[in-house]
Parts: sequence; structure tokens; C-alpha cells
Amino acid sequence: MAMRLERQPDEVVDRDVTLTFTWNGRTYPAYAGDTIASALAACGVRIFSRSFKYHRPRGLLTASYLDPGCMVQVGDEPNVRGAHRLVEPGMRVRSQDTWPSLAVDVKAANQLVGRFLPAGFYYKTFMGPRRLWPAYERVLERFAHGGEIPDLSSYQRQDHRYDQRHVHPDVLVAGGGPAGMAAAVAAAAAGATVLLVEEEHALGGHLRWGGDDVRSALRELRGRVETAPGIEVLTDSVVLGRYDDNWVSVVQRGLPTVNERLVKARAKSLVVAPGLVERPYVFAGNDVPGVMLSTAVRRLVDLYAVKPGHRAVVLSANPDGDAATEALRRVGVDVAHVEDARRGGDIVRVHGRDRVRAVELGDGRRVDCDLVVTATGWTAPVSLLTMAGAVPAYDARAARFRADPAQLPDNVLATGGVVGDGSLDELVAHGEATGRVAARRAAAVGRRWRAASPTAHKQAGPLVEVADDAPPALPVDPHPELFRARTHGIVDFSEDVSSADLVTAVAEGYESAELAKRYTTATMGPVQGKLETVNVIAIIAEATRRTIEETGTTTWRPPYAPVTLGALAGPEREPVRRSPLQSWHDAHAATPLVAGAWIRPDHYGDPAGEVRAVREGVGLIDVTPIGKLDLHGPDVPRLLNLVYLNRWSKLAVGRVRYGVMCAEDGVVLDDGVTARLGESSYLMTTTSSGAATVWEWLERWLQTEHPDWRVHITPVTTAYASINVAGPRSRELVRRVVADVDLDPDAFPYMHVRTGTVAGVADCVLWRIGFTGELSYELHVPAGHGLHVWEALLAAGGDLGARAFGVEAQRILRLEKGHLIVGQDTDGLSRAGSAGLEGLVKLDKEDFAGRPELAWQDQQRDYPRLVGLRTTDPTVVPVEGSQVVADDGGIGGRVTSSRMSPTLDRSVVLAQLDASLAHAGSEVTIAMVDGTRVTAVVTAGLAQVDPEGERLHG
Amino acid sequence: MMLIPCPWCGPRDAAEFAYLGEPAPRPDPTAASPEQWRGYLYLRHNVAGPGTERWYHRMGCRRHLLVERDTTTNEVRPHRSHVGDES
Amino acid sequence: MVERGRRTGPRPGRYSALSLLRHGVTGQAWPAAWRNHDMRRGYRVVIIGGGVHGLATAYYLARNHQITDVAVLDKGYLGGGGSGRNTAILRSNYLTPEGVRFYDRSLQLYRGLAADLNFNVMFSRKGHLTLAHSDASLRTMRWRAEVNKLSGVDSDVVGPADVKRLVPHIDTSDRPRYPILGALYHPPGGIIRHDAVVWGYARAADHLGAHLHQHTEVTGIDVSGGRVRGVRTTNGDVAADVVVNATAGWATLVADMAGVRLPVQTFPLQAAVTEPVKPFLRTVVVSGTLHVYVSQTARGELVFGASVDPFASYSTQGSLEFTEGLASHVLQLMPSLSSLRLLRQWAGLCDMTPDFAPIMGPTDVDGFLVDVGWGTYGFKAGPVSGEAMAECIATGRTPEIISSFGLDRFARGELLGEKGAAAVGH
Repeated sequence: MAMRLERQPDEVVDRDVTLTFTWNGRTYPAYAGDTIASALAACGVRIFSRSFKYHRPRGLLTASYLDPGCMVQVGDEPNVRGAHRLVEPGMRVRSQDTWPSLAVDVKAANQLVGRFLPAGFYYKTFMGPRRLWPAYERVLERFAHGGEIPDLSSYQRQDHRYDQRHVHPDVLVAGGGPAGMAAAVAAAAAGATVLLVEEEHALGGHLRWGGDDVRSALRELRGRVETAPGIEVLTDSVVLGRYDDNWVSVVQRGLPTVNERLVKARAKSLVVAPGLVERPYVFAGNDVPGVMLSTAVRRLVDLYAVKPGHRAVVLSANPDGDAATEALRRVGVDVAHVEDARRGGDIVRVHGRDRVRAVELGDGRRVDCDLVVTATGWTAPVSLLTMAGAVPAYDARAARFRADPAQLPDNVLATGGVVGDGSLDELVAHGEATGRVAARRAAAVGRRWRAASPTAHKQAGPLVEVADDAPPALPVDPHPELFRARTHGIVDFSEDVSSADLVTAVAEGYESAELAKRYTTATMGPVQGKLETVNVIAIIAEATRRTIEETGTTTWRPPYAPVTLGALAGPEREPVRRSPLQSWHDAHAATPLVAGAWIRPDHYGDPAGEVRAVREGVGLIDVTPIGKLDLHGPDVPRLLNLVYLNRWSKLAVGRVRYGVMCAEDGVVLDDGVTARLGESSYLMTTTSSGAATVWEWLERWLQTEHPDWRVHITPVTTAYASINVAGPRSRELVRRVVADVDLDPDAFPYMHVRTGTVAGVADCVLWRIGFTGELSYELHVPAGHGLHVWEALLAAGGDLGARAFGVEAQRILRLEKGHLIVGQDTDGLSRAGSAGLEGLVKLDKEDFAGRPELAWQDQQRDYPRLVGLRTTDPTVVPVEGSQVVADDGGIGGRVTSSRMSPTLDRSVVLAQLDASLAHAGSEVTIAMVDGTRVTAVVTAGLAQVDPEGERLHG
Repeated sequence: MMLIPCPWCGPRDAAEFAYLGEPAPRPDPTAASPEQWRGYLYLRHNVAGPGTERWYHRMGCRRHLLVERDTTTNEVRPHRSHVGDES
Repeated sequence: MVERGRRTGPRPGRYSALSLLRHGVTGQAWPAAWRNHDMRRGYRVVIIGGGVHGLATAYYLARNHQITDVAVLDKGYLGGGGSGRNTAILRSNYLTPEGVRFYDRSLQLYRGLAADLNFNVMFSRKGHLTLAHSDASLRTMRWRAEVNKLSGVDSDVVGPADVKRLVPHIDTSDRPRYPILGALYHPPGGIIRHDAVVWGYARAADHLGAHLHQHTEVTGIDVSGGRVRGVRTTNGDVAADVVVNATAGWATLVADMAGVRLPVQTFPLQAAVTEPVKPFLRTVVVSGTLHVYVSQTARGELVFGASVDPFASYSTQGSLEFTEGLASHVLQLMPSLSSLRLLRQWAGLCDMTPDFAPIMGPTDVDGFLVDVGWGTYGFKAGPVSGEAMAECIATGRTPEIISSFGLDRFARGELLGEKGAAAVGH
């Protein structure tokens, strides 16, 4: 650790704990508390990466999270901020984008041809011949700048954990510098709960490297934060975004158990206190390793006890530059020259390629050195304020953009450097006053929320009322406007965009800031514009001969800091709905079918055998996902009449009816059966996927069009396990487990409903319906007893050949019978007539959903029709989605459903056809997926098995 | 996400609600001309600024409600009337 | 005055490798890609909206029909709306035959655009995969594939093994909540540099004589006697024989100025980009079930999009929920991306029509034409829309290729069938 200084009073490294880690394969030592960059810098490492375009060597610039030259790969994690991430024992750190090595990088040859690669050069060449562009593209891709993500095969899930947390602070303070800490303490003292979020590893902001003058003040502020009741501090955490109604996202890093955590806060007040970001200076060679900001010097010296160089030249325009000079002198760096920008001093050029060798001053003098320090001004990170609606304006006197607090909504306040300057006492006083106002406003928000919640528990506001003391104004210190020397240099270090590039872009017509940025890609890189935006605007202003104010600022978009996809995603949380019988299906080798929210048994190994069992004996299917709505009230028939196409006024108790719903545009929405269980009690079923939609559809009619109707809807889909027992022997089987219902066909005919006890389970609902086309009973059993009833049925039906069948067998059975599936045999344009449902549409009813459209459709003849098709070759099964080709070669329809029928031993097909083709007996041509054509004949009806329905009624 | 003032549950995150948009009065289904009916189906004012809209508290009380929202800022205010008696 | 005819003589500032070299050696500056003009008192054609649609219309008016007395007005900078906010995905494997034909023409024009405009728009034919996670979506994909094949478009259903081969980072096992059952693979699809398309059209249109007026907002449209007379702008009143509404996000507001009502509602569509990483994703990947689409740019960033926001709005503020849902879905597809960082999110405005198909052509106001209602797929359609709108303006007749996109279809109740496939149609 050749560059490690003796112990510094404010250092954050623990010299008692030495760690080792590797950098590009070599082992390096570090102290606990070191960042990757500080540990390497302490060992004399000066180059950490190569730049994007020209592959110039890059060293430390800001020595903070924002350092653009210090993005590294740690293990399988790309783009780690090496100047922020703390060293952990055994960490494997590599440089990114270098080939063959960091020291010798072949692509650095680009520097030599840089004059031929101006901004946007790629728009001007590689245009032809077109076939060569993919080759050019591969070359350009080699320059993609970043780390590597792991392969799926080597990715270890257990090493990548992320989680999320919800918090509800009264006051959220973004930034833990002196003003932020003071605001948190004052808000807490006023009775507010406070979340204090600090980006660095410790609270303190710029006081951390402020030296003797502020050390005791920092200790005191930290002590007050620690002892104040109700303050939670998150360090190494950043507020990412402020959304509507103070919905605030925070990323929490550096946690022991998870890689990152997303904290989501509904903050009653938000105090924005991010401080200031030091701005780089643009001049020739400003990216040579050894050129760094004054804050970088102070971080390295004060926090990490690392000597930034041996011989320094400082360009200072402010007291922080002077303080950096002092810090360098204090630790024995030879400060060869201080150029005071306040008195017209300037530096114009750095000499050296992979390290600073000398610097040329504004007056032409050349000074040998290995370290150039600039302190040329500050950028206020106003992005959270702009997300809250403020429009920052340029303040030429302070040489920075500032947000006007008056533009902010009541629940957002700002304090600290983002508002103004001032002494430490002034900053703390401003913070305290702001914290008190934030607490008062939070209390008011809380009272407003409670008042607006008629059903919420009313309680007296626990918050202490405080006086309405608007924060005092903070003074704004004058600062010279320093953006660029008379030479050109790098503006965007991540993107390798120079000031000359920006000038070129403007000259080519890309005059507005947004266009120039897009053309050059300035501000588009991982630093997100935090270092370079103001310089970019200043240089565009200079090039367009406008003022900075006229050139304007640009939109700041969330997130304020980069955040992992893992944290945003949080733990996996995709719920799966499982029927109470699913464990039985799993145990019986059912092939699972992901059906929307549900997992269902597709088949148990032999769908054709399952079909035959139903046609010949008896089968059982778990139909629990079918949507079920309990409808209660005297006006249920009116509701049914309104939402279904057919007539419902005269449905008798104990009867079941099939119904189809259309939307107001006449397009088929859902279908199902509804039973009348009692005088004013009905049970409606819907398709599985339509359950939620139909419930909302009914509520919509009731609440918006007919609030006077007395109907209460309760969703009971998961209250019941639903089992369909189908097949010619189903009555025989059901009779064995049901005692209190007369199953005689005359007593319990087709399309009727009964309630009774099944296998000892009371309060079951039994329907006689038949999607499969067979005699069948659908049993709705209280869910907790579902498995018992299922197993009882199978046990009782052993000698009848009872077996379970899955969704695939059901699809075949219904297709043989010609029953449509909404959404498969219909599409987003299918009105009732296109689904073979003309007969259901009762236009003599005064009103029902979609009525006018269906009345108009009824007057037309040219709408598409749903038909059955019989392929000429019975062994041919055209894949669902195959197109029917009209005589003119155009598309005349499509196959919506098709299967080989085990019952008929031939294919069964449903198709949507243009009206002109949809006549029974006419022949159509189907284009098969392999390009061949087959013919088929339109059948008379949709049903191929038992078209008369004798089996159903048996 | 913004807060929606549910008259029954108080201010709740908009993610709990389904957006049903600008209410469109339903023409008389027996008398409406195709133009009127399809206006009801497809035409909305699409205002840029404050407008009345209907939301449904899907993950809460399951009631339909009216709010006034400025579509340029997403600022939401409770509406003076309840669904069903807008007129 | 109507200018006619193409400008002759050598073109200043023609882009080529050679000219790049020459400029590099001599240090000579490049001419501006387009010029600033004073606003004339009138133009034959005024196009509202300086995005890819408006600029392409101006370009094809000049190139194909020698109509150069044209102004393109934009209230902001060129391409600042949907053209600069989309995810730059190109494809033509739509569901309806009319959609397929239309977008295929667009893709054809895109393929030749760099040479045509002398501006490298960097079309990258990466191939386009739409994943199926359910048998229902697999069925719709088969339907799409068959329609595409009959229309001569290369698009077919492939299995999970092919998906794995094309994108090794995708988890094709049955571990995910919605396992991948297959995909629709469309080799001609890809991505393009969207800004470059805008700039290329702007430069070419300017070169052929059209006037581009940035930062010029239309505040009113003059209509009398049932025909359009001109527009009022923040830079003065401008007479015009033809006014084209080629805006997105503000289409209804502009149409309202002419007294034309559009069946359009405006919804934000969000997108996001990650930090760059080394290239690993060679194909555009879309999952309708998971509401996500992703591609990797030549710079190494992943560009993500999703479906439109759940409520209508003119606000382009990003939402946290979008990024959370997006990340969760991306990691279901590609789990090893968990430590990749999201860098920036943004939103654009989408004018959604009831049938997810655009509205193009004449309106009840003579001379007032619309090229609107582009939902989430306007960028893909830029070239063909410009070409067709130019023909429509020049000939006074609606070209066959856009004949099914007329405004009157809604009053007739004859909607188009793209909706099912286009719910996340990228």
C-alpha cells in the first residue's frame, strides 16, 4: 500500500482488519471500509478502465459512486461502481472492456483515427452495400461498453437475492448531509416518523471530509439523529424516484442478506436534501488518469487515507478547491502550483497519455505534475424536484441550475445545497425549519386522509402541532461560470463525448439540447448526466450563441440512481391457483396445464382413452376453475335478462339454462349456465378465464345503470370444488354416493339443478348439464371436502370403469359435440351470429347488452360464420390456426378447433368462414402448415357426435 | 402510483382500482341510430386537463366511483356525485 | 407559389466513408443536415407533426410526386414525440392480411432506407421472437404464421429448443410460472436507430425543398365551407390547401381544432433502458403474456417496453409499477439478468383506437387528412404511412394499401381484427 497515508483523523478504514481481493487476477490487500478503488489506489493503481469510444485509459475522477472511470466487474456482477463498492474478502474484480489487457488495449488504436470518427460518424457511413452492414454491426458491437452478465447455466439463484419493503413514514428525507440530518431531527422532534436516506456509507455529507472545523458539529448531528425517537436511517441507499402523491422509491444497497432491496414509501412529506455534485471542467486531456475533482482528493485523503499523487496543480474557483489544496499539503503532496480561477487563472491542457505528466496553464506556462485537481463549480441534483413538478432555472450568479421551491407541491420541500449555500449554521437552521414544516404538513396530510376515510377508525392526530415557520432563505454564493477552457476536452466521460463533438452536432443542425444530446449520446451513459448535463448545456449554448437560460435544461427521468432488475422485481411472486384436487392429479401423473391463473390436469397419459371412457362408461373431470357467482335478490331475473342474449324471466326454481353474454358492441364475451336454486337465489357459472370479467361486468350494470335493482353478487368460484361426472353410466355412479336426491330422469331431467348430500357432504349443488355431450352431473362440493368426494366417486365407480379425464379429453369431447369455446372459436370481432348463436338472440327483449349491434347484424347476411368441417381425407387434422383459402387465393377463414376424434375415428374441425363459403355441403380448401392443400366439406351442424342430443337427455 | 379517493375506503393507491374512463351515457337501445350507438361505443372526449372519470375499486370495496382527474398532471379530486346519480 | 421538380446538381455534404475521410483530413465542417427557414404565408401542404410520419410524408411528397411546397410543423424538436420514445422494433408479422401487407411494405422501405436517404439508419435484422406461454397464444401464433406465409412474409412457429438456440439466456425449462411452449419466429424483424430515421427523413425532405419548422405549435385550424383553409401557429398564420394531422398523443386535440372527432384515447406507453453490457441478446424477444419486449442495442443496452399504462393520461412521467412489473417479467424470462441495472425510464403517448389499427386518409373536412391512431406501433409504419399519405395528398385518392384504415369504419361498425394479436404487439 505504497500510497496509503498515515492514520487520518476522519478515515473510515479499519486498519485492524486487512482483507485480500483480486484485481485482474492479481491479489491486493485492503482494509475493511476500503472501496475497491481506494484499496487499489492505495497500492498505486491509477488506471481502472478504458473509455467507450477511444479506449483511452481512465483513472479516478470523482472517487464516488458517480466515478465514470471506475466501472468494474465483480464476479458475475457487471458495471459495479468500484469507487463506491466496499471490498469484501476474496472478491474477484476485473476491468471491463479491455482486450487483451487493461494496460495494452488494442482498441486504443481508435484514438489515432479519432478525427475520422466525429459525433454521429456512423450515420454517415456503412450504408452500402446493404449485405455488409451485419459485418459492420458486429464490429460496432465490439465497442459495447460494459460488463458481462452470467450465462443461465452458471447463474446461481441463491447468490442473487432481492427483496422489497413497504414503509409509511410521515417524513422522508432524501440526503443525510447536515441539512438533511437537521431536517430529520426537527421533524422527529415535532412528532413525525422519519425515514432518512443517505447515498454514502455514512451520514454527514460534505462534513465527512470537512476536517477540524466541522468534526464536532458532525459528531453532534449524528448523535442527535441517533437519539431522536422515530428516525430510521438507511445508508448506502438512494431515493430513486418521486411519483404522484409522494410515492417514493428507494434502493437499499450493501445489505448482508440480500443484494439489493427496493423500499417503497408513501411519504406524507418529502424533504429533498441531496447536496451538490461537483462538476468536472472541460479542457484538453481532462480525462487523463491523474486529473480529478477537489472532492475526489478530499475523499481519498480524509476518508481512505490515500495519497492521490505526488506533485499537484490545482485549479480552484471556490473554497473547496482551496481546502483540497490544504489537504494535499497537509499529507505531503507537493502542490506545485495553484491556479486561481477567481482571478482569471485557467488550465488549458494536460500532457501525458496514460498518466498526467504536466499541465499547461492559461498563460502558456507548463508545470510538471502527476495530479491535476479542479474545483470549478457545482451542479444541483434537482431531479427529484423536477419529478415533483419544479422547472429548474439557471442562476448565472451561482453558475448552476436551481429549483424554485415555490413551484413544488405542498408535500415536497427542499433544503441544503440544492436550495442555496451558507455557513454550516445556516444550513442546519434551514434544515431544521424545513423539517418542522415537513412534519406539520405531514400531520395535515394524515388528518386529510383520515377525514376522507369514512370507514376508517377515527383517531385523534398524535402529531404535535408546530408553528407555521416557513424556512428562512439560504444565501446563494456567487461563483464564476466555468465550463470549458479554450481547448476542447471530454464532456461526457462515460460516452467519450467531447465538447468538439457537441459543437459539430450544433453545426450540423442538431441545435436544440435534446437533439444534440441524442446525436452525440451525451448524458446517455451510466452516470445519467449527473456530472455532465450542465457542461453539455453550456457548450451547446456557446455553440448556438444563446444563453444557458435560453438553451434550457433537460428532463430528468427516474430512476435517480441505477437500480438492479432484481430489486425492482423483488422476490418471485406469481401466485398459482390450485384446485383442492390438484394434489390428487399430481399424484396420478397428470400432465400439468398452465391455464391462466390455474394449474390444471391436461391429461393422465392417454387422452384418447379418457375420451372413450366418457363415451362408453363414466369419467370424472375436475372443473373447479369454472367461474361461479352466487346471485341473490328479487331483481336477479332482470339482471340475467340484461346480460344474457336469451330470456330468463320464466326460469323456474330447479331449472338450469345456458346463456351467452355479449359486450355492447355485440361481440361474444362469455358463456355458461345459470341455475335457479331458490325463489331469489341463483348460481351462475362462467368460463374459467372469464370469471373475474363477468363479475365486474355484472357489477358495472348494477352500479352504473341500475343502482335501484336489488341484487347481491358473491363470487364463490373457490368456495366449491367442482367435479363433472360424465358418461352413459354417470347416473349409476352418482346414485351410489347420493342418497337424498331422486336421480330418476323424470324427477331430475336434463338442465335441472338439485341440492343434496354427496358422499356424506351436505350442501352440494348437482346440475344435469353436458358440455361433453354425454349424460352428466356437475357436482359443486364445499371446497374442503372436494378431494373426499372425488376419491369416493372413483372408489364407488371402480367396477364401472370410472376414471379421471383431463382438459384435453374434455376439449375433444366438446368438439365432437360441436360446443364452442369463447375466445377460441370466436375472436375479438365475433358477434353472436358469427358463433352460431343466432337462435339465442331474443330481439323481442327490449334491452340487453349489445342489442342494437345484434339487431343490425341480424339484418345483414355477410358476417363470418362458425361451421363444422369434414375433411375429405378423414385422417387429416388441420392444425388450429390453419387458413381456409378462397377461390381467388385470398383468405376465406380459419380453423378454430381441430382434433382427431377417438369416437368417430376421423378428424373433427370447427372453422370461422366468410359467409360466402359457409354453406352446408360446400367444399373449401385448407392450406396446411406444410404448404400442402386439403379439401373439406362444410357440415350441416356443428355437432359430429349425437347431433340430436339423445345421449344428453337420456 | 397516485391515490384515488374512494368514498368508502378513503385515499387508496390507484393500483387497487380498475380504470373505466370517461362515462358515456348509454343511448336508448331500442331507438339509437348506428351513429349514436357507435358514438357511445367508440367516441370519447379524450380531454387534456380536468375531466370526470369512473373507476372501480377492484381490490377494495368493489364499488364504482367517480373522480375528477387532470389528465395532464394526474391530480385527482373526489367527484361531487356518486355513480348512478351523475345527472 | 408551388415549387416543383427535384433540385439538380451535386448534392452538398453527401455522406460516405470517403467524405468522412476527406472531412477528417481537411477538418472541413459538415453542412447542416437541414436548414431553418422563415415561415411562408402559405404552403400547398402543411403537415402537423415533425416525427417520422410527418417527415416521411414530406419526403415522399417531394420524391414521388414532386410536391415541395410543403411545411412540416412541430411544437418541439424533430422526433421529440413518439418517434424518439419508441423501442425501435420493426416487424411485419401482423395478424390480418391488410396489416401484414401494410407493414411488409414498411419493412421493405426500411430495408432500403439508408441508401435511399443517404443516412445510415442502422437497421439491424436481428430476427423477432414472440414467445407463447399458453396453448391459446400458441394457437394465435399459428394463425398469424399461416396468414403471414400466405402473404409471403417469413414467419413461423418454433419450439422451445429453437428459442433456446436463438437466445441461450432464456429459461425454457418448466420452472417459470408461465413456461415457454413455443414462439413465433420472424427472421426479417429487427431494430433500427429511431432518431436516425427521423433525421434521415428530415435531411432528405429539407434537401428536396420542404420547410421544417421546429418549435412551432399549431393553435388553430381554419375551416370554412367544409374545407380547410390553413393553420394558426405560434409563428403566425399559414394558408394551406391540405393540412395533415400526423401527430401522436395530441391527435384528438389537433383534430378537434378542425371539428373532426376521432375515436382515440391517449395512453402513456413506458419504456426503459439498462446500463450497457456485452452483447448476448441477438434477437428481439417479445412476450405478450408477460407484457414485455426486449432487445439489445449495438451499444450494449437492453431496451425494454411493455403494454400501455392502465389509465388514459397525457402525462409522460414514468411509473414505478411499470419498472417493477417489467423487471419481474424480464427475470422470469432471463433470470441471470438480476444484477443488471435499469438506467432510465421514459414514456411516450399512444393514441389508442378501438380496434388497434390506425386511422388514415380523408375526413369530413375537405383537405384535412389524418394519419393518426397509431397506438403502440406507429414507428414501424413510418415509411409506408409517409408513402401512402403522400400519394393520397398528391392524387386526391386513398391508396389501396390504406383503404381499410378509413375513419368511417367506426360509424359503420366494421372494425379491423388486429386487436387480439396487438395487445402487446411489438
